[in-house]
Amino acid sequence: MRILLSWLRDFVEIQESPRDLADALTMAGMAVDTVEEADGDTLFEFDITSNRPDAMNHFGMAREVASIYRRPLRRPSSEFAEADILASSMASVEIANPKSCARYVGRVFTGVRVGPSPDWIRRRIELCGIRPINNLADLTNYALLEMGQPTHAFDLDKLAGRHIEVRTARPGESLVTLDGVLRELVAEDLVICDAEKPVALAGVMGGEATEITAETRNVLLEAAWFKPSTVRNTSRRLKLFSEASHRFERGADWDGTVWAADRIASLLGQTGPGAVLKGCIDCYPGSRNLPEIRLQSESIRRHLGVDLGGSEVESILLALGFRPVASDNGWIVPATSHRLDVEREIDLIEEIARIHGFEKIPATLPAVGIAPARTPKAAEDTRMRNAVSGLGYDETIGFSFSSSSESQRFGGSPEIALRNPISKLWDVMRTSAVPTMLRALEWNLKRNQPFVRLAEFGRVYQRTDAGFVEPKMLCLGASGTARPLCWSEPSRPFGFFELKADVAALLHPFDSAGLRFDSRNVPPYYRQGHAASARCDAGVLAHFGEIDPEITREQKIRQPVWVAEIFLDEVYQRGLRAPAHRRLARVPAVSRDFSLLVPESVAFERIIDTVGPMADLISLEPLEVFRGQNVPRGHYSLLLRASWQRLDESLTDEEVNSFAAELRSGLHARLGIVVRT
Amino acid sequence: MSIAEKTGRPIADLLREGDSAEDLYAGLRAQFEAELRDTRTPEHTRALRDRWLGRRSGLLTAANESWLKAAARELKPTVGKLQNQLKRDLEAALQNAMQGAVSEPRDEAGLDPTLPGPERTAGAVHPVRLALEEVLDIFRPLGYTVAEGPEIESFFYNFEALNFPSDHPAVDEMDTLFLAGKERALLRTHTSPCQIRIMEAESPPLRYVVHGKVYRNDTPDATHSPMFHQLEMFAVGADITFGDLRGTLEHFVRRFFGPSTRARFRPSYFPFTEPSAEVDITCPFCSGHGCRICKQTGYIEVLGCGMIDPNVLTNAGLDHERFQGFAAGFGLDRFAMLRYGIDDILQMYQGDTRFLRQFR
Repeated sequence: MRILLSWLRDFVEIQESPRDLADALTMAGMAVDTVEEADGDTLFEFDITSNRPDAMNHFGMAREVASIYRRPLRRPSSEFAEADILASSMASVEIANPKSCARYVGRVFTGVRVGPSPDWIRRRIELCGIRPINNLADLTNYALLEMGQPTHAFDLDKLAGRHIEVRTARPGESLVTLDGVLRELVAEDLVICDAEKPVALAGVMGGEATEITAETRNVLLEAAWFKPSTVRNTSRRLKLFSEASHRFERGADWDGTVWAADRIASLLGQTGPGAVLKGCIDCYPGSRNLPEIRLQSESIRRHLGVDLGGSEVESILLALGFRPVASDNGWIVPATSHRLDVEREIDLIEEIARIHGFEKIPATLPAVGIAPARTPKAAEDTRMRNAVSGLGYDETIGFSFSSSSESQRFGGSPEIALRNPISKLWDVMRTSAVPTMLRALEWNLKRNQPFVRLAEFGRVYQRTDAGFVEPKMLCLGASGTARPLCWSEPSRPFGFFELKADVAALLHPFDSAGLRFDSRNVPPYYRQGHAASARCDAGVLAHFGEIDPEITREQKIRQPVWVAEIFLDEVYQRGLRAPAHRRLARVPAVSRDFSLLVPESVAFERIIDTVGPMADLISLEPLEVFRGQNVPRGHYSLLLRASWQRLDESLTDEEVNSFAAELRSGLHARLGIVVRT
Repeated sequence: MSIAEKTGRPIADLLREGDSAEDLYAGLRAQFEAELRDTRTPEHTRALRDRWLGRRSGLLTAANESWLKAAARELKPTVGKLQNQLKRDLEAALQNAMQGAVSEPRDEAGLDPTLPGPERTAGAVHPVRLALEEVLDIFRPLGYTVAEGPEIESFFYNFEALNFPSDHPAVDEMDTLFLAGKERALLRTHTSPCQIRIMEAESPPLRYVVHGKVYRNDTPDATHSPMFHQLEMFAVGADITFGDLRGTLEHFVRRFFGPSTRARFRPSYFPFTEPSAEVDITCPFCSGHGCRICKQTGYIEVLGCGMIDPNVLTNAGLDHERFQGFAAGFGLDRFAMLRYGIDDILQMYQGDTRFLRQFR
């Protein structure tokens, strides 16, 4: 919204520099974007919030200036001489839909000559960004910029029956608007009709057929109040936005209608010949009751934390155009039609605070006196985040959107589609964090990063019978070398067991008794045989492994890519392991190494399960796993180190020998393992 | 005959030729140490390990077979001890070598401490998370509880309960992303729905910080992202005032942006607060003198706030005659960008390790 300094000065005294004025208005809630010199004048560009249509014009802005500085406000002159003929003898108005059109004021001008406006009018509206057209159109725009009331001038002689009816459109009706476009109308559209047909879209735009032309002699000037939602719906449906619709949909002033029509009548003489017929045609079916607002001094203090004093409060309210009447402990303030946004006590308190100055309200701190509650799972989350970072994964955040095809490949649950997506690639909410991670890995690999470790804490989105759920996920992504390159170490590629170690390390702080790793039911986007799941009881804590190369190849990734999905809700609900001390042994452990020939069908975990429970056995470590050469087919060779220990006494050789024999026979008898040494 | 060749011959023969068991193992040790000195690369070291400890043809493995296993019964304890001692030493030396010690100069000058060790830097924390943690560290001691809420919201929680007039332009201004389907569900456009959810569930006094992802139907560019992070703090009680809001936020911006930062409260409009204000801070880049980033104004707009509108309290089931409160919200991404000098919001979501590692 552009405002001219010289135009403001028509209504209020201003001594301040444009910069100071801009600052003062900004600090009262009228945000000034720019201040610039234009044609020897100063032009302010405002960004006015949608609740303040009253300030989207010069007079309204002058009222703000007058309130800030508490100076008198002068109303624009609306004096003119009327002809003897009654306007109502030349035209008639009828409102069929009073809910959408509360008031319709018509004035009739006769004998006008259409031509250019005087320079001063052209200059003002042009500086404010409206193109001058002819004297009548310019007058309506001038009044709009000055007082905020949208008006419209019809060529009266082109209105069939010289009659106006305000009603909703009928099936099949259409209208060519002033911009030359044929508009098909629907039943929700409010239209201005003559005796036969629609001639204007109420509050949005006039029609071409009844437009003012060089031949126009008699004019019907419309100044009406249309319901915001009605104007808004039509304007949005047709994607037709005008200065008028902008104001009507935010709420115009129905008492401003007569005033605006009179203001235009008073300026008519300065733009050329023409007579103003006697009286307004004022069709005002529903009289409007505005509330009386009770304002208590105590409420002001209670909300703002400061007592402003009665005279300051009254002075502000009067300056803003309210008429406060003192009553018990405060005032009764009737709402006014020029400030429809003010209807409650709190609205008045805001006005008082705003004009008094937010900056003058002392800053205080509320007494603490309240203990914060523990955020559920915060301790778990902190542990997990620290561990992830400790393992060297860089935290990333990915978009929550995915495409339908991606979600079919990676998701298991019904997708959640967006009605108005940003793009086709982002038309559903993601059901899996894996594609998001693959994109981030791809981004880095295409930029030749040799060592990539990424972690995303995020949600996936699922539709269930009970509604939407948003499980929390941790997704790890890894590719490239196992470690950052360093001169002192050989470089080797990242592999399954690096990933498994990381997953295990992340699960370690949690109470996950019975944690198992297996490769049953690993999702199909993992490379089968190179992926696993971590389970605890019935719950799946994680899937992880190498992504199916068929999938990564589509993304032009030519090296193995590893991903882990950790289901945080499942992990966190187990809680953190409770720390407990166990006494340390006073004597050293004794270890023996065993070279085993193990059938391929026996997983390492079964060896642990089988002999693990032996008395005094404290660990079983795989030292070497070997296949091929002299190892028979269908078997693998395993070098296993077993360690025994008692807390307080040393184990004798005989005891260890008998343990070793028990272990050998146990493995052989129960798992068919040949112990070679 | 080289010592390597000797490992292939039975110990009895060698002893007959005049070597003692101690000599044999000393020879092996000397040979290993000489070979170890010549290793320069990790690949060499691995080859060395295979040559000596390989399971099938390693020299020490061979010695185990031809010397230890074949030794006469009375000689076995001596040979066994020598064999085990050497094996342990070799393993230790190789372990050391694999860790890089072998490649360093071993003369009197000692090692070169200016060479880097293998990198073990902790992974980066995302800048948005960093900013979040900083903010939470400021609010937690003031008694605020941290909470999150669903990102898929209902029209009621996102708009109606927050006093958005349903046919008002303010709803359009939010550029909402709606879900397909009849539920009228949407992606929350702000974290404010959590205010309602918390006020419904708990009774005042309340002090909360809520944070999380929010969504807008914005075309991505350097300053717009269809997904970003918002943080919102609110307090509800019998005597929470606008002055308290000012005091709390002034404290907050000074702690977050620096002690000389000044906050300016500018009246504004949000449907869910009244009075409403936008807070500008003195530009942290030019200390308020005017620069490119603050467009020469000396101020940067950083957050929106206000007293919670009585309608919002009523909608959440609280008596607005008894309780009042304030709320403030801002974009964490923008805070992170200002704080760390990031100029493109989309970089935040690419996962580029070069970008992320700056925040290690």
